[in-house]
Amino acid sequence: MLLAKFRDEVEDILSRYPVKRSALLPLLNLAQREEGFVSEPAMRDIAKVLDLTPPQVFETVTFYTMFNLKPIGRFHLQVCKSLMCALVGSDDVVTWISKKLNITPGQTTSDKTFTLSVVECLGSCGTGPMMQVNDDYYEQLTEEKVGRVLDDLARDGTCPLKSGPYMYPLPLGKS
Amino acid sequence: MAALPTTTKDLVTVTIDGKSTSVPKGTLVIEAARQVGVMVPHFCYHPKLAPDANCRMCLVEIEKMPRLQTSCSTPVAEGMVVKSSTSTQAAEARKSVLDFILANHPLDCPVCDQGGRCDLQDFSHEYTATTSRFKELKRVFPKEYFSPLIETQMNRCVQCLRCVRYCDQVMDVKALAPVGRGTLTEIKGFGAHELDCEFCGGCIQICPVGAITSRLSMYEFRPWMLKRTDSVCGYCGDGCQITFQTKDNALIEINSTQGSGRNNGDLCARGYFGYHVSEHSDRLTLPLIRKGDEFQAVQWEEALELVGQRLLDIKAKHGADAIGGLISGRCTNEDIYVFQKFMRGVVGTNRIDSSVRYGHLNAVHAMQRVQGTHRWAVSFDDIVSADTLLLVGTNITETNPIAGLKVKEAVKRRDAKLITIEALEPAIGSISNIANLAQHHLGVKPTGYATAILGLLKAVMDQPVLDVELQSRVSGYFNDISARLQAISWEAIQAQTGLTSDMFTQVAQVFDQGKKVVILVGPGVLRASGGFGMTMNLLDLLLVTGKLTKPGCGLAPLAEENNDQGAFEMGGTGAVLPGGASLGDPEARERVSQAWGRPIPETPGSSLPQMLEDAQQGTLKAMFVVGENPLGSLPPSSGIHSAFEKLEFLVCQELFLTETAKQAHVVLPACSYAEKDGTFTNTEGHIQSVRKAIDLVGESRPDWEIFSAISVMMNDPMEYGDVKEIGKEIRDLLPGTRTLGPAPLPAQPGSSAIAHYVTTDYQRDIGVRYQLPEQVTDTAGDIILQVSQSLFHSGKFSRKAKGLLQVEATGKLYMHPEEAARRGINDGDTVKVSNGLGEVMVPVGLRERIPQGVAVFPEHFDEEIRRLLPYHVDPETQVPYCKVARVRLEKTVGA
Amino acid sequence: MAKYETILLTNMGQPGYTGSIKEYEQAGGYQALRKVLKDMQPNQVIEEVKKSGLRGRGGAGFPTGVKWGFIPKDHPGPRYLCCNADESEPGTFKDRQLMERDPHQMLEGMAITCFAIGAETAYVYIRGEFRLGAKILEQAVQEANAAGYLGQNVLGSGRTIKIFVHAGAGAYICGEETALLESLEGKRGMPRFKPPFPATHGLYQKPTVVNNVETMANIPHIINRGGEWFSKIGSPPKSCGTRVFCLSGHVKRPGNYEVPMGIPFREFIYDVGGGMRSDKPLKAFIPGGASAPFLTPDHLDVKMDFEAVAMAGSMLGSGGVTVMEEGTSMVWAALRLMEFFYHESCGKCTPCREGSSWLAQTLQRIWNKQGREGDLDLLDDLCRNIAGRTVCAFGEAEVGPIQSSLKYFRHEYEALIREAEATRPRHKEIPVLSR
Repeated sequence: MLLAKFRDEVEDILSRYPVKRSALLPLLNLAQREEGFVSEPAMRDIAKVLDLTPPQVFETVTFYTMFNLKPIGRFHLQVCKSLMCALVGSDDVVTWISKKLNITPGQTTSDKTFTLSVVECLGSCGTGPMMQVNDDYYEQLTEEKVGRVLDDLARDGTCPLKSGPYMYPLPLGKS
Repeated sequence: MAALPTTTKDLVTVTIDGKSTSVPKGTLVIEAARQVGVMVPHFCYHPKLAPDANCRMCLVEIEKMPRLQTSCSTPVAEGMVVKSSTSTQAAEARKSVLDFILANHPLDCPVCDQGGRCDLQDFSHEYTATTSRFKELKRVFPKEYFSPLIETQMNRCVQCLRCVRYCDQVMDVKALAPVGRGTLTEIKGFGAHELDCEFCGGCIQICPVGAITSRLSMYEFRPWMLKRTDSVCGYCGDGCQITFQTKDNALIEINSTQGSGRNNGDLCARGYFGYHVSEHSDRLTLPLIRKGDEFQAVQWEEALELVGQRLLDIKAKHGADAIGGLISGRCTNEDIYVFQKFMRGVVGTNRIDSSVRYGHLNAVHAMQRVQGTHRWAVSFDDIVSADTLLLVGTNITETNPIAGLKVKEAVKRRDAKLITIEALEPAIGSISNIANLAQHHLGVKPTGYATAILGLLKAVMDQPVLDVELQSRVSGYFNDISARLQAISWEAIQAQTGLTSDMFTQVAQVFDQGKKVVILVGPGVLRASGGFGMTMNLLDLLLVTGKLTKPGCGLAPLAEENNDQGAFEMGGTGAVLPGGASLGDPEARERVSQAWGRPIPETPGSSLPQMLEDAQQGTLKAMFVVGENPLGSLPPSSGIHSAFEKLEFLVCQELFLTETAKQAHVVLPACSYAEKDGTFTNTEGHIQSVRKAIDLVGESRPDWEIFSAISVMMNDPMEYGDVKEIGKEIRDLLPGTRTLGPAPLPAQPGSSAIAHYVTTDYQRDIGVRYQLPEQVTDTAGDIILQVSQSLFHSGKFSRKAKGLLQVEATGKLYMHPEEAARRGINDGDTVKVSNGLGEVMVPVGLRERIPQGVAVFPEHFDEEIRRLLPYHVDPETQVPYCKVARVRLEKTVGA
Repeated sequence: MAKYETILLTNMGQPGYTGSIKEYEQAGGYQALRKVLKDMQPNQVIEEVKKSGLRGRGGAGFPTGVKWGFIPKDHPGPRYLCCNADESEPGTFKDRQLMERDPHQMLEGMAITCFAIGAETAYVYIRGEFRLGAKILEQAVQEANAAGYLGQNVLGSGRTIKIFVHAGAGAYICGEETALLESLEGKRGMPRFKPPFPATHGLYQKPTVVNNVETMANIPHIINRGGEWFSKIGSPPKSCGTRVFCLSGHVKRPGNYEVPMGIPFREFIYDVGGGMRSDKPLKAFIPGGASAPFLTPDHLDVKMDFEAVAMAGSMLGSGGVTVMEEGTSMVWAALRLMEFFYHESCGKCTPCREGSSWLAQTLQRIWNKQGREGDLDLLDDLCRNIAGRTVCAFGEAEVGPIQSSLKYFRHEYEALIREAEATRPRHKEIPVLSR
């Protein structure tokens, strides 16, 4: 069972809330972190721990966009398409990625490395256009930067261009 | 019932569309409007559900509030002035809501079963313009198979979420889920899986449009083609109001009007989907007479003549008491009354018994002994308004689901405290589990109820005495009970049940503190060994805590069959006369015999077990069995097969050719409850009208008509023109007890009966009742087998309902997954179940709510496994105990 | 360019500041918490915050002290504080900076708030996408726990204050306070109807205060320097203090800027933000996040405070200022925003659920040169039937872009429709397929 493997973490999560059901989102997160998506056995497991029925877990999973019900590529490229990023060229970012990887939004590369999605505002409007890849943000994208990120990820599984703690504009004396 | 506010402080005056009224504080505007005759259109509001205010259809104008308000979520305030149908703003708002809904709603009316009784159609007719301005793409959901009985068409859904909320708040099943977000939300079960739930039909009934419909009656009708007949369900003792919907004499569907009956419009799978029994092709349509090894169909004349002749012969040769009668609690009151009058007055014997004997008699007899009533001193309304509920051996969701809904309502909506002593473990499953709602759950094995009840009594006696006055008045009774309980150690109780003294003490404290306490007891106790004694002990519990005579408190034993209570009251149990008086009571006998113009025979009545013995001995020569199937109900260990073989003459009056009927010399075709008028008395003691919905099938006849005809053949006519005549006769015989009203009038516990009990009568059997049952030592591989009721069936009767068979068609041996794992058994494996009485192979199913050390098999499919059940009979009530056995399980190779 | 004194961005403005607890303490952090626990009563704290005139920084702008005062004094409890860190309003990205760069500032604010309202448990509901932010906050909470600023017996006062970080999973609607509570309870994030309000029936139906990150970040400063000091900054009496406004779009220097309320948009966009990015002049701007109706160059002199912007027909909202240059199609802009709202509509109530889909599709049609006569009146009508009829303010929000772009840029719509009508076949022709 998935949750048996993470018993300590599950206990810790449960201890934070007086009502069990509140632990649902954190536990779903845990399941997706581990398996890459929220699987049916994981949902059943979680239902059991939280005294819920599987439909109750399922309804919550499908409400939130960050949960995947099916496995996707290793790197989920989520490009923000909201107005503020669109004003500074987010549509171009989608085009660049599509061209480079030969996929359109919603698709995954055949080697299952990249999945491309367009998403709504990610809270980075001052440094757009930008995208989120798994846990990391990549901001102020140019065609060159996009290419570099994709290459780094494919090769090393990580890229040094990911954003750190946000601050923009930077204080004087910082680049 | 909730107390009505009596002071003006609790009332609020509001004006709606110019009409003023005073309503209790907290009333919602939409409810207040309804009371003055203003119907506010709505989709998501429903009186049984907490308001959700999502459809925005019920918007009304309220003076001094800037925006339109949803009347379903706004409570009234003093002096509020509301405009609903007189408000143009509200009319515009409603029109726009309909425009929005119709934007995505498909043009399905021609193929939608809801057409003609659809809220969306009705409101559109009232509020919308005729053309839609929507020129975009409608969202479309792919059609998916949802379940064998319930169909969804999500394109029609208006997302009011009534179905989801009903399944959660009322049923506590939570099988339906709104999936997705925004306009792409649809209602599903768990992912792509089929719906797995209680199939109560509640979602179908509550859906305002045709998004959720019944597959059983799909495409068979338009509402205006249906003829409605209000009647009562023929399955269990809850006695739900149903409406038969028929078309051209065919049963199309059943529903129950919101707010109607004791069930308040709620039904269960049996009530909602089980109606096809009456139309099954196996129905007997002609009388049958045995010629050699075969049956020959004959006309009524011939069959009735034969029956009359044979009965007269046997009576002449061996005496009237050589003939016995057995009638089912499925028959109407009128049927049963005429039967026992026929047996006593025409045949001349008191040897009659009914299905009451199978367990309900324990309850009725106990209530008579202790509180002098044969009916409940409480009602379903008292269960709903109780502050403390104790459920003992009920498994209520599967046996009496609507009584179960009353418990759920009390706990979920009114914060009642729930204590359960059940052979269940709290666990979430596809049907609701009452143990999940309990604040205090004492899980026992099916053999552990007696000890658990004694443990609770012991803990209560350890608490400070509640009814000091009673204790001082009858100190003998108190001291006797106390002394005997003290002689039982907590260790012994724990050894037998696994429950500690602390657990019992906690429960005792909660029980004591309750002001309105109702104890519900069910077949787990009533049909278990020592069931009578246990029921008596529960009444003792109410007595010693001073609750028995308080308003809103009492014992509520759950009757299994729809008219078990009626069968008792109509004298279907030989030693009891119509009205509940004992056969041995000379005044009662005199009154009845005067009314009949016939003498009541002097000989005592006998129970079914007694009759079986006599048949074995050869002193019982003939039996007239009506609607019962003892060869299909009692285990072989009862000796029933050899007993019946010895009978010289067996008449079966039946709907189907059952095991017993197959042995009969004459089989008479009776009609079902859908084909006749009459009354049923539900478990509360409430009498309700049964009405004929379809024509008699074949040559079948109402039971009472057949008895009447046989009496003519026996030259002692006892004729009735119609059912109303019978009803009148019964009313005249038992004045004041036969009222047909919207709600029962619970009986009052009689002070003289109680006085007699606590001074003298209790001593008769207190010794037996207040000692621990003998422990049977477990041997290796042992498990307790319990044969009990499933939610989806009732007796063997429901196996003729094609709807119910789609949910449960065969029996499985259900056990806890860990129990199975320990024995190396997987879901679906076949196991050999055996004990000294026999062996059988059955498939296994896993259910987490079954306690470990127990395996449950549904009694509706128990032809084979019944062989393993032992049989013994209660010494006082003669109730047969044959539902629990110790067995060994062996895994077989391969599935 | 005028230089304004910062309050919230002060610490992180120091080069090399990492936001660790040590540096926060060195900068004077957690003094306010000490002061409150040692010298003040809860109702005094509430009075101080009331005096400051602080209004919610999330978008609704409700007076914070007043909101705290709604918590019933005689309720047996428990009471809860929820910090709304679900920043998902397009155009807004200030909370992210506040959380990632100076987490202890808001944690101290939360601890003081818990003391004031009598809550022992607080949850930070942070949007699921802010993984880094959540990690930084978790770390900060651990630091604060270890240092005794959180946990049981905080600073020896005998009080318990526990803060937990709870991540969302991608739903803008969970920024609405009652939807946030539903989501925190583990359910679908559907707003509840009000009344009852969270102050009496909030998390688990217990009294709850929901406050924005920036609101929380202001609290230590108000305690340290006094409510009166705060009330003199900005545009008293209705819009006190500074705000961290988020500038985005076609400007030279997008980003977060902390300025006192009441400076005109012109100054903010052209001085602070460096003006337009190219020689194209300003065509339109959004004053307060996607939910705020568009404003035009005529409104550049409007003051950046609650009242003035409301009078101009929009709202200060979340403080996300987005600038659009000449050449931007306002129909396209409205469409982008409408797609956002359609995607994020929770689906609870009929007008928003069906209306957002209807509006988005109609706009798409118009943009794709398939518009028709009557479409604009239809849009107007639909908007009027959504706003004011919904469970939550999402209804009003989603019609803002369309209504305001129709008001100021109707000609753009009309042009597209004229183009469409000109090329639309007059009769329903069945295409000739065989030739």
